This record gives sequence, C-alpha cells and structure tokens, in this order.
Amino acid sequence: MECGGFTFLEMMKPLAIVFVIAFGILAVCTRRDMWSWITTVDHKRVGILYGLSALLFMVIGGTEALLMRTQLLMPNNEFLSAKIYNGMVTMHGTTMIFLVIMPLSAAFFNYLTPLMIGARDVAFPRLNALSYWIFLFGGLLMHCSFIVNQIPNSGWFGYANLTSCQYTADASVDFWAMGLQVLGLASLIAAINFFVTILNMRAPGMTLLKMPIFIWTTLVTQVLLIFALPVITIALVMITFDRKFGTGFFNPGQGGDVLMWQHLFWVFGHPEVYILILPGMGIVSEILATFSKKPLFGYSVMVYSSCAIGFLGFAVWAHHMFTVGMGPWANAIFSAATMLIAVPTGVKIFNWIMTLWGGHIRFTTANLFAISFIAMFTMGGLSGIMHSSPPIDSQHQDSYFVVAHFHYVLYGGSIMALFGGIYYWFPKISGRYMNETLGKIQFWLYMIGFNLTFFPMHFLGVQGMPRRNFTYAADQGWNLWNLVCTMGAYMTAVGGIVFAVNVLYGLFRGKKAVGDDWNGRTLEWAISSPPPIYNFAVEPTVSHLDEWWHLKYDENGKRRPGVEIEAHVDPATIHLPGPSYFPILLAFGILLGAVGFFVTPGGLYVSLVGVVLMIGSSYGWAFEKT
Amino acid sequence: MNAKLVKYLVGIVSVGLGALLSGCFDVVPMTTVHPVTQEGADIMTVYKITTWISVAIFFAVSIPICIALYRFREKPGDESIPEQVHGNAFLEFLWTVIPVVLLLIIAIPTWQVIFKQAKPFPEGQSLKVEVIGHQWWWEFRYPELGIVTANELHLPENTNITLDLTSADVIHSFWVPRFGGKVDTVPGHNNPMYWVTPTASDTPGGDYYQGQCVELCGLSHALMRFQAVIHKKDEFDRWAKTYNEPPKVVTSLEKKGDQIFHTICQACHAISGTASAQIPGPKIGPDLSNFGNRRTLGAGTLENNQENLFKWVKDSTSVKPGSLMGNLGLDDESVRAVNAYIRNSTVKVY
Repeated sequence: MECGGFTFLEMMKPLAIVFVIAFGILAVCTRRDMWSWITTVDHKRVGILYGLSALLFMVIGGTEALLMRTQLLMPNNEFLSAKIYNGMVTMHGTTMIFLVIMPLSAAFFNYLTPLMIGARDVAFPRLNALSYWIFLFGGLLMHCSFIVNQIPNSGWFGYANLTSCQYTADASVDFWAMGLQVLGLASLIAAINFFVTILNMRAPGMTLLKMPIFIWTTLVTQVLLIFALPVITIALVMITFDRKFGTGFFNPGQGGDVLMWQHLFWVFGHPEVYILILPGMGIVSEILATFSKKPLFGYSVMVYSSCAIGFLGFAVWAHHMFTVGMGPWANAIFSAATMLIAVPTGVKIFNWIMTLWGGHIRFTTANLFAISFIAMFTMGGLSGIMHSSPPIDSQHQDSYFVVAHFHYVLYGGSIMALFGGIYYWFPKISGRYMNETLGKIQFWLYMIGFNLTFFPMHFLGVQGMPRRNFTYAADQGWNLWNLVCTMGAYMTAVGGIVFAVNVLYGLFRGKKAVGDDWNGRTLEWAISSPPPIYNFAVEPTVSHLDEWWHLKYDENGKRRPGVEIEAHVDPATIHLPGPSYFPILLAFGILLGAVGFFVTPGGLYVSLVGVVLMIGSSYGWAFEKT
Repeated sequence: MNAKLVKYLVGIVSVGLGALLSGCFDVVPMTTVHPVTQEGADIMTVYKITTWISVAIFFAVSIPICIALYRFREKPGDESIPEQVHGNAFLEFLWTVIPVVLLLIIAIPTWQVIFKQAKPFPEGQSLKVEVIGHQWWWEFRYPELGIVTANELHLPENTNITLDLTSADVIHSFWVPRFGGKVDTVPGHNNPMYWVTPTASDTPGGDYYQGQCVELCGLSHALMRFQAVIHKKDEFDRWAKTYNEPPKVVTSLEKKGDQIFHTICQACHAISGTASAQIPGPKIGPDLSNFGNRRTLGAGTLENNQENLFKWVKDSTSVKPGSLMGNLGLDDESVRAVNAYIRNSTVKVY
C-alpha cells in the first residue's frame, strides 16, 4: 500500500453512513414496499430507480456548483478554501457526468426501450437490476470521500501526475478512481444489455429503419459505451496500480509518461461526450415530432448522422490536447477530424427545424425544453467549432470560454433535453401529468438563469479568466461578469426547487393520464399509463415507422375509428421474470472488492470476501428458477 | 404593443448589447483579443473568421426557428393534422454541403497558422529561455546569459525568443494571452514556443504583460501567476548585466537578514553573487536575486511591499494554501531582517 489507506473500521464508518442515508431515502420513497424494489427486475422499476438516484445526485452536483459560484461571486472571496473549492470543481464535473446525465439517460433507456420496441422486458432483466445496484454503490463509494474530508480534487479528468502518491497523498484520488471503476462496470453491463435488447427483442415487423429515433440514438450510445469504457477501465487500473503497488505508468521518474493518461482518458472521454448528448438528441427528436404533429424530418438521415457522430467521435480525442505539444501534424489532423463532426450535427439541427416547419406546434413544457435544446446546442456547437481550430483553442483551452462551451452542450443540450423527456414521459411513468404552469415557470427560470450563468462566461474566457481557479484578483476586469454568472446560477437553483415541487405535485395531485397522453406517435403511447407490469398483453406487429400514429390516422390525416391495441389476455398467463436478490448481492461483492483497495492492513482479505460474494451470488443467480 | 414600448425595448436592448460588447473587448490584463505580437495577431485572424461564420450560422439557425415557432404555432381549437412530410432529399443534401464549404474556410487558415507557429527560428538567431513550471511558481533560466529568475520573465523588445518549456513536478500551462496561445509544461517533455517580442513603450522598468498557469496543478493553482516584462534593448542589457551582482548589505538589519538567509533560507532559495548560489544542486524554491525589483510576491499573489512580504515570510500558507515554505517559526524581528535583506539590498538600478 503506497498511499491513501484506512484501517478496516475507519473505512466502514463512511460506508455505513452513506448506506444508511441512501437506503433511508429508498425506504421513505417506497414505504412498506422496499423489499420488492430491492429485488425488482422489472425494467420500469429499474428505470425509476435510476431516475430517482440521478435526480438526487443532481441536487448534490447542483449544490456543488452553487458553492463554487458563491466563492466566485467577488474577487478574493474567502467563502471556500482552496482545497474545498478544488473538491467542488472535481466532484461537480464527475457527479454531473457520471451520476446525473448518464444514469438519467439510463433511466430513459430502461423505462422506454422495451415499451418503444414492443417488448415485455429487456433481454437480461436481472443484469439490468445488477447494473443499477453497481451504479448506486459506485456513486456511494465516491461520496464516502466527503465524510472523511478527502474530496477528490484533481479535476474530473484527473490528469496524471497530479494524481500520483507524490502529489496527492490522501485517498481522494482513490475514491475518485475506484468510484469511476465501479460506475464504469455498471455502464458496461447496461450497455451490453440494451445492445442485445434492441437488436433481438423488437416486435415483429419493426425493422431497424422502423425503430423510433430514440431507440436509434440509444443503440448508438450503447455501441459507444461498449467500445469506450474498456479504455477508461484500463487507465483507472493503471492509476490504481501506480498508487497502490508502485508501478510507474504515469511517473516520468520511472520512465512513465504523463501524456499517456491524457490519451487514454480522452479516447474514452470524447466518445463519452456523445454518450451524454445522443440520448438527448433522441428525446428531443421524439418530443418535437409529437408536438408538431409531424414525423421527424429526414428520419433516415438522422439515423445515419447519429451513426456518423458516433463513429467520428472515436477519431477526435486529441483535440482536448492541442496545447500539450503533439506537434503541428497531429494538431492539424485532429483539427480536421473535429471539424468533420460539425457536418452530421448541422444536418440534425436543420432537420429539427424542418420538423417544426409546417407543423401545428403545441407549446407544452416538454416542447419548450426541446426547442430550447436546438438553440442552446447550436451555440455550444458553434463555440465547439471555434475550439476545433488549434490556434484559437490555444487561446481558449482551460479558460472560461471552454466552460461556457461545454455547459451549452451538456447543460443547455443534454440536461434541457432530459428535463423535456421527464415532462414528456412523466404521465406515462406515473399515470399523472405534471403541472404545466409550474413547468413553464421552471422552464423560464432555467432558460434565463442558464444563459445568465453561461453566456457571460464567453466574455470571461475572452478576457482570459482561467477555469478551476478558486480565486481571482480584483484588478483583472472579471468582477462584473462573475457577479452576473452567480446571479444566474441562483436563478437556476430556484428553478430546481420549482421542478421538485412540480414532481411532487404531479405524483399526488396531477391530472390523471390515460395512455395516449400527448397524441403520441410511438408504441409506448398505445398502452395504459402507467403501463401494466407485462407492458403489452399481446406482442404488437409493426408495419410502419411511428406505428401508433399509423394505427390512429390514415394517410390523409383522418382519424381511424376505434383503435385498439390492448388485446384482452388474462395477465396471470403472462410469464414474467421473478424477483431476485442476487443482483444486489453481486453488486455488494463488487463494492467490497473495490473497498479492499482502501483498507490497510488486510485490504486483500476484504477484496477476497467481495470476490467470494461475487462468485457465490453468480452461482445462485445461474441456478435460480425464474 | 404600442410604438413607444417598442422604442423603449429597442433602446434597452441596444444599450445592453453595447455594454456586452464593450465588456468583452476591454483591454483587461489577460485579454485574448488585443494581441501585441505577430503570433497573437495570426491567431486573431483565424478567430475573427471563425467568429463571423459562427455568428452567421447562429442566425441561420435561430431565425428559421423563430419564424417556424410563430407561423406554425397551433391555433386554438384547431384539431386538424398537418401534412405528414417525411423529408426532402435536396434540402438535406444542401445542408450537408454548405457546412463542408464553411469548414474549409476555417480549416485552411487554421492549418497555415499551425505550421507557421511550429517553425523554429534559425539556429543562433534567438534568445533562449527555459521555462520550468513548479507548484505554484515559474522558474525562468537564460542559459546564454547565465541568469536564473522567477515569476518575472524579462525580455528585450523586437527580439526572437525561443522558449523551452518543461515542469519540475506536475503539468502546468504557460500562457501570456496578449502574446498568443498557451503551451503546457509537461514533466518529462520539452515543448518549444516561439515569440517575437513586441516593441516596448517608453515606460521606465518595461511593459508588464500578465500571464498565468492554466492547467489545474494542485491546491494553489489559482495563485500561479507571472509577468512577462518587455524592455527597451539597452534597458534589458543593463538588467542582464546587473542581475547577478551581489546585494548591497548596508544597514544592521540587512546584515542580520543576510545571516539568517545564509543559515535558513539558502536551503531552498538562492541569490546570485552570494554563497547561497554556490551550493550545488537545484533549489526547490524560487531564485530571489534582484527580488527588490519585482512588483509582486508569491507568484503574482500579492503586491511586493513591506507589509505583504512580512505576512508571506511569517507564514506563506496564510497567503497561499499548500505553499511549501509555510511557517518557519521565525520571530517578528528576524522576519523583518530577512525582508530587509531580500527586499532592500537586492534593488538594482538599471
């Protein structure tokens, strides 16, 4: 053990605290039904668990952002210490990416994939539950760092060799690295599950080019995950070996190279960006089509451009490294590849506009979020094109211009789309609508607050303010815009509270939903809201893209009489996979395996107990009667 | 909406936009849009092209959205179904090709600037400076002049400079925005950077341009600033000539400081021309030769005056978290003596 160790009891204390908090929340939310949620393998319930966890992590990540903005409210502020501020920087990024956007997207994958392709469940229901529990435990492990006051503080991309024992002696890097390692496993398992589900479980007649566009973006996302995650897994193994066993992969003193970390991280990290945005693109495509009462414009081109974005996403990682000294040829080539991505992305943007064009647009909250996605994502994309030019990037890299850029893409883009998705599918999931007035209040608070926070960051970047600075001098000309940014952030926080109120309102007081809640186009609207546990009583047969719309309307837009997809079948005759507690046991084994890396002495034995638990529960799993 | 209200709104919007633009283009110390070197100006050219194209695209996207939202909003009570248009091959072809053309307009000057900036000066026609990043300060070495200094990079005007960047510990990034782009200082690597310095104004003591580390490098990353100082050629020569002269120790306080410096401080710091500079091996703290002439202390953290220096030497971590020097346990009198020595006695007139 080179650095960052705890005794067994020191390590158990924070774990116990985070587990009590997490399962306390679960107990409150599920009331007396907790055991059935712990053992559930129903894709809908797993989806809800993912969504709830992601929203709770969003509260944590958002609070971190507010603390940072408060610190930067004025120059030379002493609200946060340098150590805490750097911790907030790191954990805000890590949390929002790995514990909010990814699992919130996963919530939609889980809930919607089987419904949209006309299936009873995902291909491997227990694997699905397993991936959720691994995800939760990974997130909890990472947050143990707060309780022992060793918050990860080397940035969300943890550049070597700042993460080495020499420069970070406490366990903060270990919480980050092992947390991500566990989270990566969860995503990988889920990715394989959805990949198989989408390719194998589609209703008869639903050929690949008749799948809803959201299913397509889901499929591309899973492929990206399957290829990108192994790279970060290896990189995290290497950093863990460097720290725990004294290897020197990233230590120049031992013949290692710090830039190798950057290459490995961004070979994962750039596809990751598309992993975060593609689900949002799919959601927005569905919402815009529904609320324009028109099919998605250029469906097949949208499919091809999603695939092109996914493919090119693997060829541009080094544009994060234009300033590390790769030489002119590497910079020129990666710059060209990066610019190419603008082409399929631009096509998408214009196709969305043309989806609105000529439609009958309804301004529901969901649609407002979707429309704002187009505008915000375009702005993020345009500043992205600026950075694709290495000379410009050399002025913008690691300045607030970059902070503005990726928040326009990931917040104005992904998060806005995901909120749109929540408003859109909430009636399907809960059986009740959210309140539209509250929704619109939240939307405007978000829209204005977001732009007030992040648009001035372009100015700060142009004025040379570096990112990740816990303080700045008063004579730099950065005071005004920082103040404005902070005010915008507070405004968004109010929007967040309105959203929370709206969710509760929707759950308990919302207008009852029936089934086809928005005059939808895809199969999930053909069944009741919330859907029965078996989804479709009889497997639907598909003949068209937007099958449900075709069942409702003829070619001339005339409503067909009496659409009925719900055949009457005795639910008792439908075979569903039974509940299982092996997934959570197996996930706990994996957590223990990771915890062993923190414990000294005797860490090996803790990990071995974890391995025994993994093998034992796999055995039980394999021979379980379903 | 009546005409007066519209006028009022237009007024607000134009004042707002004016404020935005002026805020953006003020000449603040770290501005990226007021370059003073050819390198910076080359970047600015690409930047301008790209910005205008981006603005044009933004309007090409946002205007159709606004029109669509206005024209095609659902009229109350209208339950009819619009025509179900599935696509248009020609339009989709068009907006695949137009971006390609626009990107080429950005790409060509981009590539030109990349290769131009990577081109070294001919051998022997530039001043060499080694830049070494440390947690959290900058070391500058002039091998041809035999000078080692810290946190203030003194350079002659209108001269080719070849910078050789590396790091003593973790990755940092070296950036003087008004001179051009940044280059990372990477441990185990040496990155080159080429500058032609701008003309100096007549200000005695040179023109100060601010720089800062822009790669998260640990606790006090935010406090790793530096200055590039451009001198008239003769002024630079005088600076270089006097730099290594030993400090003038006159007062008794300075003498006491000299003593303390050469028992305690010299373990980490050196002052040229004294015994501290004779100790072999690299120093872990910044070189303090000619410290009295520096405008700031603690790598740009505080103004260099008696009061701040006292605070710094007493306990540097109170100013800069994680600073290695920390509290050395010196009593107030000793701190004042050391300050007198490193601040007063090292001032050199050039």
